[in-house]
Amino acid sequence: MIAGRALLSRFAPLLACLGLLAIWQAAALILQTDSFPTALEAIRAVPSILGDKESLINILASLRRMAIGFSVAVAVSIPLGLMMGRNRYVASFFNPLLMITYPVPKAALMPIIMLWLGVGDLAKLLVIFLGVSLPVIYHSFQGARAVEEKMLWSGAAMGLSAAQRMIRIVLPAALPEILTGCRTGLVLALITMVTSEMIARQSGAGNILFNALDMGQYETVYAMIIVIGAMGIGLDAAFEKLRSRLVKWSEPGFDIPLSFA
Amino acid sequence: MNARALTTDVLLGIVPIALAIAVWQAISSFGYAPVTLLPPPGLVFRRLAEQLLTGSFQHAVAATLLRLFVGFSIAVILGVAVGLAAAVSPAINAVVRPIVRVLAPLPKVALYPAMLLLVGFGHESKITLVVADALFPILLSTYYGASMVEQKLIWSAMAAGTPRHQIWFKVVLPAAVPSILTGCRIGLVISCIVVFLAEMITSTEGLGHLLVTAARTFQAVDMFVPLITISLLGLILNGLLQAVRSWLLRGFPEV
Repeated sequence: MIAGRALLSRFAPLLACLGLLAIWQAAALILQTDSFPTALEAIRAVPSILGDKESLINILASLRRMAIGFSVAVAVSIPLGLMMGRNRYVASFFNPLLMITYPVPKAALMPIIMLWLGVGDLAKLLVIFLGVSLPVIYHSFQGARAVEEKMLWSGAAMGLSAAQRMIRIVLPAALPEILTGCRTGLVLALITMVTSEMIARQSGAGNILFNALDMGQYETVYAMIIVIGAMGIGLDAAFEKLRSRLVKWSEPGFDIPLSFA
Repeated sequence: MNARALTTDVLLGIVPIALAIAVWQAISSFGYAPVTLLPPPGLVFRRLAEQLLTGSFQHAVAATLLRLFVGFSIAVILGVAVGLAAAVSPAINAVVRPIVRVLAPLPKVALYPAMLLLVGFGHESKITLVVADALFPILLSTYYGASMVEQKLIWSAMAAGTPRHQIWFKVVLPAAVPSILTGCRIGLVISCIVVFLAEMITSTEGLGHLLVTAARTFQAVDMFVPLITISLLGLILNGLLQAVRSWLLRGFPEV
C-alpha cells in the first residue's frame, strides 16, 4: 500500500496533465467552435511543427537566446545579490533603484530597446537578462542576509579573507535561497523570451505562436501553446532535479516556484 | 537603526537614481543620441505632466487600473480560498497539488492567444491573464502560511472550546496573514506587469496600447510616458499594500 501511494504521488503531476487535457477535450467537444480545437487535434498538430525544419530552427534559436540571457544574468546577479546581503551600504545603494524598476514589465522595454539595438538577438538577450536578474538578485540578497554571523566570525578567526569568506561560507549557506531565485528566473526567462519574440516578430517560438494567431491557424496556435508549456514544465522539472542534488542537505522550503511574470 | 543611519541609507539610495538620470541627460544633451531615439528626461517628464491632465490619458490609466484591480481581486479571493482549502483538507490537497505543480511553471503569456479566442478581445481576456498569473504566488504563499501554523495554537483554541469549523477562521487564517500578504505583494507586481503586456499584445485602450501606438509611429517621448506611469502605479499600489499590511499586522512582532 505504501509503495502504491508513493507511486501515485510520483505520477500525480502526470495524472494532473492528463486530467487537464481531458477537461480541455470535453470543453472543446461541448463548445464546438472553430477557434477552439480539441486537445487531440492540437496534440496531433505538434509533430508537424516539430518536424518542420524552419520552425524547429526557430524554436532552437529561441532556446539558445534564453540560455545565454539566463546564464549571463545569473553570473552577474548572484555576486551582486551576495554583496548586497553582506554590506549595508551596497544594499542601500542598489535597493531603491531595483524597487523602481521592479514593476516595469521588462518585455515592454522591447520597443524602446529595439530602437537602439535593432530587432536582432542583442535586443532580445538584453530583455531576457533584465527579466531574469531581478528575482535572482533579490533571492541572493535575502539568502546572504540570513547567513549566521557566528559562522563568519569563526571563518575570520581561522584566517579567511573577506573574499574567501564570501565564497566558502556565504555562497554555500545562501545556495538554497539562490537556487529558488534561479528557478523563478528560469520560468521568467521563458516568459520574456516568448513576449520579446511576440513584439519583435522576426524569429523564434513566440513569433510562430502569434503569427499563427493572426493568420487564424488555430490548431498551430494551440499546438505551440502545448510546446511552450511543455518547455516550461520540462525545464522546471530538470532544474528541480539539479537543485535537489546540489542542496541535498537543505529541506526544500518551496517545492513549487513562486513564478513571476 | 538610528536616524542618522537612515538618512545615509536614503542618500545612498538616491545616488544611483540621480546618476542614471544624469547620464540620460548627458547622453542627449551632448548629442550622443538623437532626440528621436532618446528624448532628454526633462522632455519626458514634462510630457508626462501634460498627459496626466488630458482626458484620453486618464481614460487609458483608468482602463488599465480597472483590469488590474478586478484581476488582482479575483486572484486574491481564489488564491486564498484554494490555498486554505488545500492546507486544511488532505483530499483537496491531493487534487490541487499536482495541478498546481503542472500549471505554476507554465508560461501563462503563451496561453493568452487561447484566452483571446475563448473570451474575446475586451476586458475579459486581460483580466483572465492577470488572474492566471497572479493566482499562483498568492495560492502558494497562503498554502505554506496555513500549513506552517503551530499545532499548539490549534490545540489551545480547541482546549478553549472553539468549535472545529471555526478554528480555520479564528486561528489558521489570522496566523497565515503575513505569508498571504507577501504572496499578495508578489501577485500585485505581477498583475502590473501582465496587464501592461496583455494590452500591448491586443487592445484598443490602456497604457500598454499607448506604448504600442507610440512605437508604431516612432514617438520616442510617448513611449517613455506609459512606462514611467506603470512604474509609478506599481510603486503607489505597493505603498498602499504596505499600509494595509502594517494596519492588518498591528500587534504582530516585526515581520
